[in-house]
Amino acid sequence: MAASLYAADPPETLRTVELEGLTLLYHRPSGLTHFLAPPAPQILAALAEGPADAETLAARIADAFEIDSEDPGAAIAARLAELEAAGLVRRT
Amino acid sequence: MSERSDTPGEEDGIRPSRRVVLALGAAAASTVITVRPALAQTAGSVLNCEIPVPAPQAGSGQFIAADGSLVPAGTPGAYPPLARPLKGEEVKAMLNSGRAPAGIDSEAAQAYANYIRRLQAGMSGFTCYASLQMPR
Repeated sequence: MAASLYAADPPETLRTVELEGLTLLYHRPSGLTHFLAPPAPQILAALAEGPADAETLAARIADAFEIDSEDPGAAIAARLAELEAAGLVRRT
Repeated sequence: MSERSDTPGEEDGIRPSRRVVLALGAAAASTVITVRPALAQTAGSVLNCEIPVPAPQAGSGQFIAADGSLVPAGTPGAYPPLARPLKGEEVKAMLNSGRAPAGIDSEAAQAYANYIRRLQAGMSGFTCYASLQMPR
């Protein structure tokens, strides 16, 4: 079974403010505001490059960060489930 | 690897000026907290609300491109305005499962869905769309 591909709304639909390690994010299409802790903002930023599955996102993030996880793909998948429940990402 | 920091994200949050450590967290950890405005919450009102495509304030004669943006009438590859507003129930099915409303072909429905995803506060249909997005 192929891994799920996820997509996010374009960055221009979001308004973000950094708050000492947290990100306050306003999602214009829904009018909802979210408090995000790492790595959620980094996942959304990585999705701005285009739809991707958890493993691909882990690789994109690893280009910019030293990842601290024994199983990056599984950890990203768990974070994607949260972001999907919040309406910030969707499966394509 | 010459320099590390334990604070993830700088500037735009994904392109740090130096290599930083990013902890991905345990599966049970929570990284998203959502604040919801007081919008229509009952299932009935959400499914019966309506979204005009496009919003009347967009002006007449606008077509909807595949990415959901508004373009001049007759633009190749773009779709004409819908003659009737979409019901919340139809929009929910379209956004969640890609099911096109009755009488609308699937490619046009995708363009209309992209238009709806771009709705912003103050535009007709925005409150309906926001209500549909709320987790229950």
